[in-house]
Amino acid sequence: MRAQLTQRMLLSLVLGLLFLSTAAMGSCSANYQGLLQQLQSQADLLQDTSLLLDPYIRLQGLDTSELRKLCKERPGAFPSQDALWELSRWDLLRTLNATLGQALHRLTALQQDFPKARDWLTVTMNIRGFQNNIHCLSQLLRASSETAKPTQASPGASPPPIPASDAFQHKLEGCQFLSGFHRLMGSAGQVFREWGKTPRRSRRHSPRHLALRKGPRGVQLFRRGRRLVPRGQLPR
Amino acid sequence: MALFAFFQTILLLVSLSLRTCQSEVLSEPLPLTPESLEVSINSAQQCLHLQWRVHSLAYHQELKMVFQIEISRINTSNVIRVDYYSTTVKWNQVLQWSWESELPLECATHFVRIRSRVDDARVSEPRFWSNWSSWKEVNEQNSLGHKASSVFPVDKLVEEGSNVTICYISRSHQNNVSCYLDGVRMHVEQLDPNVSAFHVNNVAFVRETGTNIFCEMDPKDDAGTVLFVSKVLEAPKDFSCETQDFKTLHCTWDPGSDTSLVRKQPYQSYTLFESFSGEKRLCEHKNWCDWQIAQDSQEMYNFTLVAENYLRKRSVNILFNLTHRVRPMTPKVFFKNISATNATMTWRVHSTGNHPTLLCQIELHGEGKVIQQHNASIKVNGEYLLSELEPDTQYMARVHCGDANHFWKWSEWSGENFTTLEAAPSEAPDVWRDVKSELGNRTVTLFWKPLSKSHANGKIRFYNVIVENLDKPSELEPVPIPAPANHTKLALDQCSYRIHVTANNSVGTSPASVIVISGDPGNQVEEERVNVTADGFSLSWKPQSGDVTGYVVEWCDRPQDGSCDLQWENLGPNTTSTVISSDAFRPGVRYNFRIYGISTKRIAYLLEQKTGYSQELAPLVNPQVVMSNLTSHSFTLSWKEYPTETQRSFIRGYHVYLKPKEGQCHPGFEKAALSDNSLCCKYKIDKPEQKTFVVENLQPESIYEFFVTPFTSVGEGPLDAFTKVTTPDEHSHLLIRIILPTVFCVVLIMIVCYLNSQWMKEKCYPDIPDPYKSSVLSLIKSKENPHLTIMSVKDCIPDAIEVINKPEGSKIQFSGTRNSLTETEITKPAYLYLLPAEKNYSGPGPCICFENFTYNQAASNSGSCGHVPVPPTAPSQRGLLTSLENLLKALEKNYMNSQGEIPAGETTLNYVSQLASPMSGDKDSLPTDPPVPALCSEYKMQMAIPLGLASPPLSENSSVSSVTLLDQGDHHH
Repeated sequence: MRAQLTQRMLLSLVLGLLFLSTAAMGSCSANYQGLLQQLQSQADLLQDTSLLLDPYIRLQGLDTSELRKLCKERPGAFPSQDALWELSRWDLLRTLNATLGQALHRLTALQQDFPKARDWLTVTMNIRGFQNNIHCLSQLLRASSETAKPTQASPGASPPPIPASDAFQHKLEGCQFLSGFHRLMGSAGQVFREWGKTPRRSRRHSPRHLALRKGPRGVQLFRRGRRLVPRGQLPR
Repeated sequence: MALFAFFQTILLLVSLSLRTCQSEVLSEPLPLTPESLEVSINSAQQCLHLQWRVHSLAYHQELKMVFQIEISRINTSNVIRVDYYSTTVKWNQVLQWSWESELPLECATHFVRIRSRVDDARVSEPRFWSNWSSWKEVNEQNSLGHKASSVFPVDKLVEEGSNVTICYISRSHQNNVSCYLDGVRMHVEQLDPNVSAFHVNNVAFVRETGTNIFCEMDPKDDAGTVLFVSKVLEAPKDFSCETQDFKTLHCTWDPGSDTSLVRKQPYQSYTLFESFSGEKRLCEHKNWCDWQIAQDSQEMYNFTLVAENYLRKRSVNILFNLTHRVRPMTPKVFFKNISATNATMTWRVHSTGNHPTLLCQIELHGEGKVIQQHNASIKVNGEYLLSELEPDTQYMARVHCGDANHFWKWSEWSGENFTTLEAAPSEAPDVWRDVKSELGNRTVTLFWKPLSKSHANGKIRFYNVIVENLDKPSELEPVPIPAPANHTKLALDQCSYRIHVTANNSVGTSPASVIVISGDPGNQVEEERVNVTADGFSLSWKPQSGDVTGYVVEWCDRPQDGSCDLQWENLGPNTTSTVISSDAFRPGVRYNFRIYGISTKRIAYLLEQKTGYSQELAPLVNPQVVMSNLTSHSFTLSWKEYPTETQRSFIRGYHVYLKPKEGQCHPGFEKAALSDNSLCCKYKIDKPEQKTFVVENLQPESIYEFFVTPFTSVGEGPLDAFTKVTTPDEHSHLLIRIILPTVFCVVLIMIVCYLNSQWMKEKCYPDIPDPYKSSVLSLIKSKENPHLTIMSVKDCIPDAIEVINKPEGSKIQFSGTRNSLTETEITKPAYLYLLPAEKNYSGPGPCICFENFTYNQAASNSGSCGHVPVPPTAPSQRGLLTSLENLLKALEKNYMNSQGEIPAGETTLNYVSQLASPMSGDKDSLPTDPPVPALCSEYKMQMAIPLGLASPPLSENSSVSSVTLLDQGDHHH
């Protein structure tokens, strides 16, 4: 288990440094599939609760059956998986970037609740790397036919909660935030995985959206936030 | 008793008179009631703060008063606390009083009231209590805010070991409340319908992030809080200050437990306070702090170190004279004049103040241990001669110093490594030899042990070997053997040699080790067994009288793998026993020890030879037994190839196991149970050198099973499979002696007969040659005459066949449409006449006669070639006959010429000639006339008839020959 953790840390550090260096050099890869693959890998890494949530729960003494159930993600704190599916690629990237920016601030504030946290550097570097890859992928999409559209800042996400007045609430909010953060990264990974399977030109990446694109030309058959097709329906 | 009553009366009178005097000062009681009572709450500290005034006091009047304070909880009648507060009250003074509640104030409504009483001596009696103030209600339950429920106190900080009361407040009436302290359910007491509480005594520190308290109830409503339990702040330990340079005081301490709590309490702070100067300094570090020494040459210092956190302060104090807290600076060490056995160590201590006398300690370390310790008193520079050192040895010398007058502490150690120089090896190498003689030459392998470090005195570069022929004096040439070699081989003749071996390092040569290889091959001694003890092989030998300068015991550490690894041990001349042990000794391996005496001439001669096992083990293999001399009553077993020397223990003999027949053991055998619990007959051979055994008294034609295994002191060999043997019949050997020669003779005779019959057959009854395999065919074909072919008997159309002089007649039946021949009586001589087919034939014709010595049985019985008269040839056949004559001539010629071309197998046939007559044109006409003697040609007719066809069964009376008409369709070869 320890060896696995060490390997994972090394891998994520390398990935993070690689992406940071890429961003620092100001050069983005033009390899669309490569960027998607990297984003998937990073999302897979960051969705692992053993990275942040589990140690947080342990350090804060929330690992009891009564308190553990209070650690569920607060609804609306992060964009839901359905909300992510509903977004265009461009919007999704913007949303993720904005949400991760906020998450990074929150994580920084939470850092003092992690005495002797080992994986902290790994997480922050990977989030920054993830953002850099989102930036590069956005540039790639901008260069393609897909045009930028005005988007909402964070669909499905409510503003961050007011800082808790007492330590107990602070602990729970930290726990709920981390729970939502890992869930968001898992959802993002699934979306990117789906992107890898569908053509680049498709504006809406949701499988159910792809299924509805066979309607009359120029007619938008779906509305944001409305579920039209059962999940799991694959494009074409 | 009367006296006691008297004094009591006096005391009472005095007391009454005093009271009377007081009432004269303040004759009237004052109405001093507390007013303007205000109550406030400090939730974090769970304190009630009371403020009030006493308005009735006159200006500048001071009066000693007592205030009684009552505190009720939940309702006024539930008084939980009555306290008294005495103070001197001034005019217009605001009085304050605080009370810390055990129960968080948010948990219940509290009520407070107060009253007072003058408690001043100046006020005359009676002193009565004032009226109570009105109840002041303190209700913090509205602190729930928008929440449905809460747990109090919120984020309370307590010390480990405190007692805490926790309450759970809800807007709704509580039902089935569960509260947990770090997952442990607590016993909850309901204070009112909306409040529950529980107590925690002696709380323990759990984690830096606090102890979680969580309460929930049905319907679903939960809340929690964190109780921050801090470790108890300890007073700093080992607090001390010192200086090295009279500029800075370096103070250190042991802080003890860390009392910090995440988001609640930082690490405890430390503050230094010096009372003489009145200066204070907040220390930045947990366990040390530097204090700048004042320039005014302050000698005495009184330091107080205060440790503080949110809950308490702890302090320690030290008072000292600065000159008594001097720790010298770390010396700087150098070495000079390093030789093989000495080195001079010098050091310098940076001056501190007025060059006080310093006491220094010097330590010399060798191989990680302190081997020398010295003291030296110096001012600034020190020097010490380190002697009695070993050559070529690395040492570490270090020094530290302290103030000799007011010793406080030693300075830090300062040390350096140094290595002494090499010296010549001090001892001769320990040399031994192994001599092997072969074909008049000897191969001597010289072994030597590396010198110990204390004797080598440096790195051994090479060994010099000098071989001196004692019989033929010659020039001595040293042979250098580079180190780290530990042996060399010498090829010597039968002369005596003295060998000198020295070890050399870069400085010089060791004393020589001398060993003499005598020309005398030495004596042979009998091998004895050696005793083994827990310490090893215990060897002893008889003391040798005379010129023995010592003994050498030699052995091989690894005899089992052939590498030997020769080992030896030198022993003094008075030693007659030793115990040999080695880590290389293994159980089940036989070790041989040879004990040599060393003469004054350095000649080694073998005294004794011993052998033994460090631990005997049971044999792993059984002998391969060969069975021989099997008779009906005995057989012999032998296992001569079984090596006893390489076994894992001393073989003491053998057990011969024989499975009993009908439960009876043979004489000499005894019953024994095998390891598989089967019963057997066992014969014990006590002599390990006996490797044959005759099993006797056996029954003929019986099956016996045997098995041979060695036995040792630790058991016998493994249980192997038994070998079966069947004893032969008692008479079988006689039968074998008779039948075998007889069979051999019969076979021999049969072979001879067969060979003879072949010879006879070749001579008397050669095989009939096959005309179709004759070379004549090729000759005929070469003539390109399609009409010419070998004459077939069926092609001959004799008019009549007469068999003459045939003792037994034969009756041949012809089938077909042709005319049948009438049976004819044939008499001797047996000639076969070919009669002309045509009626108009007249005159003598050619007579063809075949002579065939390999005729079939019927034909050959005639004993000679049949004389066949040939009728005159018809004119129409003249040409043919002419050509036949030519052919015959050609055949004769061809025959003669083609002898060499006929295959060998065919040449054995005594074939003379054959003729085929192509008379296809007149087949229909059969001769009806009686045979007419005709002129015979020089050819004899050959006729081959298969036995089956040519010799049909004859009647017993058929002694006459028959004349048969040959059908054209019948082919006879």
